[in-house]
Amino acid sequence: MTKPLALAIKWVLIVATMAGILWVATKLAQAGNTMAVVIAGLVGMGILAVYATRRAVPLKYLVPGLLFMTLFQLWPVLYTASLSTTNYGDGHLYSKEESVSDIIAQSVREVADTPRYKMSVATKEGGDPTTADLVLLLTKPDGSPFVGDKTGLQPLPATGVEKTPVGKITKAPGYTILNARQANARSKDLSAIAVPTTDGGGIKPVGLSEAFEGRATVTYDANADKLTDSSTQPPTVYAPKDARWVNVADPTVSFPQGWKESVGLANYTRIFTDPTIRSGFLGIFVWNVVFAIVSVLSTFLLGMLIALLFNDPRLRGKAVYRSLLILPYALPGFVTALVWKGMFNQDYGIINQTLGLGVDWLGTSAGAKAAILITNLWLGFPYMFIVCTGALQSIPQDVREAATIDGANAFRTLRSIIMPLLLVAVGPLLLASFAFNFNNFGLIYLLTKGGPFNGADTSIGSSDLLITYAFRLAFSGSAPNYGFAAAVSVIIFLLVALMSIPGFRRTKALEEVN
Amino acid sequence: MHKRALGAAAVTGVAALALSACGGSSPTTPSNTGAAGTSKATTSGTPETPSGTAAPVRDANVDLVIWTDADRSKAVQKYADQFAAENGVSVKVQISTDTRAQFKDATKVGKGPDVIVGAHDWLGELVQNSTVAPVNLSSDVAAKFLPSAIAATKFNGQSYGVPYAVENIGLMYNKDLVPNPPKTMEELVATGEKLVKEGKAKQVLSQFVSKVGNAYFAYPYLSAFSDGGIFATKDNGDYDPNKLIVNSPGSVKGGEVLAELGKEKVLSTNVDDTNQDALFDTKAAPFMISGPWSVAKAKEAGINYGIAPLPSLAGGGAMKPFLGVQMFYVSSKAKNAALAQEFVTNYIPRKDVQLALFEVGKRPPALKEAYDEVAASDPDVKAWYEAGVDGKPMPNIPAMNSVWGPFGQATADIIAGKAGAQARLDAAAKEIAANIAKG
Repeated sequence: MTKPLALAIKWVLIVATMAGILWVATKLAQAGNTMAVVIAGLVGMGILAVYATRRAVPLKYLVPGLLFMTLFQLWPVLYTASLSTTNYGDGHLYSKEESVSDIIAQSVREVADTPRYKMSVATKEGGDPTTADLVLLLTKPDGSPFVGDKTGLQPLPATGVEKTPVGKITKAPGYTILNARQANARSKDLSAIAVPTTDGGGIKPVGLSEAFEGRATVTYDANADKLTDSSTQPPTVYAPKDARWVNVADPTVSFPQGWKESVGLANYTRIFTDPTIRSGFLGIFVWNVVFAIVSVLSTFLLGMLIALLFNDPRLRGKAVYRSLLILPYALPGFVTALVWKGMFNQDYGIINQTLGLGVDWLGTSAGAKAAILITNLWLGFPYMFIVCTGALQSIPQDVREAATIDGANAFRTLRSIIMPLLLVAVGPLLLASFAFNFNNFGLIYLLTKGGPFNGADTSIGSSDLLITYAFRLAFSGSAPNYGFAAAVSVIIFLLVALMSIPGFRRTKALEEVN
Repeated sequence: MHKRALGAAAVTGVAALALSACGGSSPTTPSNTGAAGTSKATTSGTPETPSGTAAPVRDANVDLVIWTDADRSKAVQKYADQFAAENGVSVKVQISTDTRAQFKDATKVGKGPDVIVGAHDWLGELVQNSTVAPVNLSSDVAAKFLPSAIAATKFNGQSYGVPYAVENIGLMYNKDLVPNPPKTMEELVATGEKLVKEGKAKQVLSQFVSKVGNAYFAYPYLSAFSDGGIFATKDNGDYDPNKLIVNSPGSVKGGEVLAELGKEKVLSTNVDDTNQDALFDTKAAPFMISGPWSVAKAKEAGINYGIAPLPSLAGGGAMKPFLGVQMFYVSSKAKNAALAQEFVTNYIPRKDVQLALFEVGKRPPALKEAYDEVAASDPDVKAWYEAGVDGKPMPNIPAMNSVWGPFGQATADIIAGKAGAQARLDAAAKEIAANIAKG
């Protein structure tokens, strides 16, 4: 490649990257996220500094990797960790101020024995429909027209007023009626309108053609930081407690709308002190490790044996067998898992029917675990088979011949020559497979949902992995609690990281064999 | 040197193979199969369909955005278009594959729709998360609906939407095997066992139980007894989360019926959503307890089915199912609040709209006038309605989320004979109460 061409390509790529970052930054700016815009700008400047100049050669190689690592590894971990110190979850999504305004807005009730008005939205004649003060042209059920604004309700002179058959005013002298689109554009102003009435209520619009007289029954006292609900007799007082508005007289009653707040390390304390979690956590953890190890070993052994078998030069039609064996891997895993679930059914499943068994596979703890391991063996061995086939083919024939000449039998060759060479190649993949299976959410969720649940506790299933357990805590159960689930995820992350360290040490040792 | 090069060659070879084989870090299964299996086939049509299971992207240039599931989208689209023409505005109907979750997430970041179509038992959660706005239907319009449907749209005495359909479970029976539906559970079991003995059927009844249980299908056994059920109600008709009755004497009697039927193999934890319909549709079971969603499959299988109210239990009364009400909600963060309110309060209560929505869902309409018209011509709808006439709406309080799992599992354990009714329901009550207290 000539130098000018290379230079041109380089600059095109740089400009394209800059354009991409600019696009992302504008999107972020639209979303109003100033901090992110600044970061995007800094990243752009960094890229320009590294690639547009002749300096910083090592960085030229490292920057893409670093960027992606920050984006897809570091950021999620940090975000999860920060979430784990809050109570973020259902009922705790917004701020305290928002919970107050929401509770008050939702407490508006129609005042008893008041009429429903037909309504049109209008402005004083000549007013700008996008900014002028809005007035409501109202018709009582008896047909008498009124005009309402923030000062109150006044009768509207009937002369010159035109109405639809149901009574909605379409023309009134001195007023300009807004059409649906214009009125809708003022939705915010409309929802704020309450034409004051003599009994303390306000006439509020419902949509664009009706209005009712309503009154908010809850009031907020900012000084005392208390909500008072006057719809009960005597009025009920609510005070903030544990990020909710709780009835002062009866603490079992609270408003459903709470708010998000920092809870420090409370989520972590809960993991280590809650008796159900503590007793369950250990059991789940042990099964999780057993599941991951057995899955890796069983799939690896089966895959390797088949690969060794098919590596024999005398076998014919290898291409056909190999394609067939890859099938379980090629089919979508969730379909396979569901099919296996059907096959494990105690009464209707093909496994019990053909073998004449009555095993309650999915209803007992041991059965469910066995079912999971069998299914995972089916799903996982083709991958190991492919990997081992590749590695075996790269082991040259002369090494084996040398072993044969030295008098080694087939088993000895396998143990001392082939296995070490194979493990050098496959070792890191076994480790990756372990990490994947450690968090194999899909299989468990589709096959058993973590069940069966023994005893009287449905939060901890006997085939649960830590990840399915965290999922149940976060998304099902009583109220999705993202903060707590984030804390569990952080713990899982630390556990997997700790367990990987000896694994990586071991792979290093394998490499040094050579 | 030679050996090292060899090892490196092996590593690169395997790595290349691994990359081409899985293209990622998921050695055994595709990693993207989690997330609750909420994907649903979407039909193509006028409404905008999303790609995969992602939430639809809100179109900023239209005056009203409605999210609904794929089934209802065409009927909603038709009346949305009419509404748009009458008011000179533009309306967009978008298909959401999982409205409940996607609405919550999109609303949180200010990209939610103005109106959603959904079930009434989402209400407590939606209010808790401040995502829906009150909908003030006038009392004379509200009176045109079935009272139970209107009751279902209320939470804490406030009304939050307009209903359009009511659904509940009933007893489906195979008319070729059973000419007249049984009135009592004894009669049902006797008829079924006779058919099994004669070799005309393989089992008595097909009912969704599953290994983890199903609270929705188990509830009618409890409600057949005078104080049986899940939550007691307050004076104003709302369910009271502090008055749990899953282990009341009536509920325990219902639990004992479950245990008895489990012992007789009438109910089995091996029947679940994957085989429930198949058992009825292949004539293996002459009876099935299910809802309107099972009708289409039975029809397709050529079953001469009938629909009847659930049977009554000895010592109690008729089994009363939960009612599920489908309704239109208005988002509390709606950008077009005025139009959204107008559409929901003025359009959805119309008879022609309710009839059109009936055509796509075949659930009894919530508007009395529309129901009367449909019931006169469609015996199925009349039968479903009558099967649910004594039913109460499913609780819409957020505390109900704490009930489904523990209560369902308790009924599964009772049916499987793992525990006695009294002890297991006591334990479930304790667990539910603890979960509610945790919030």
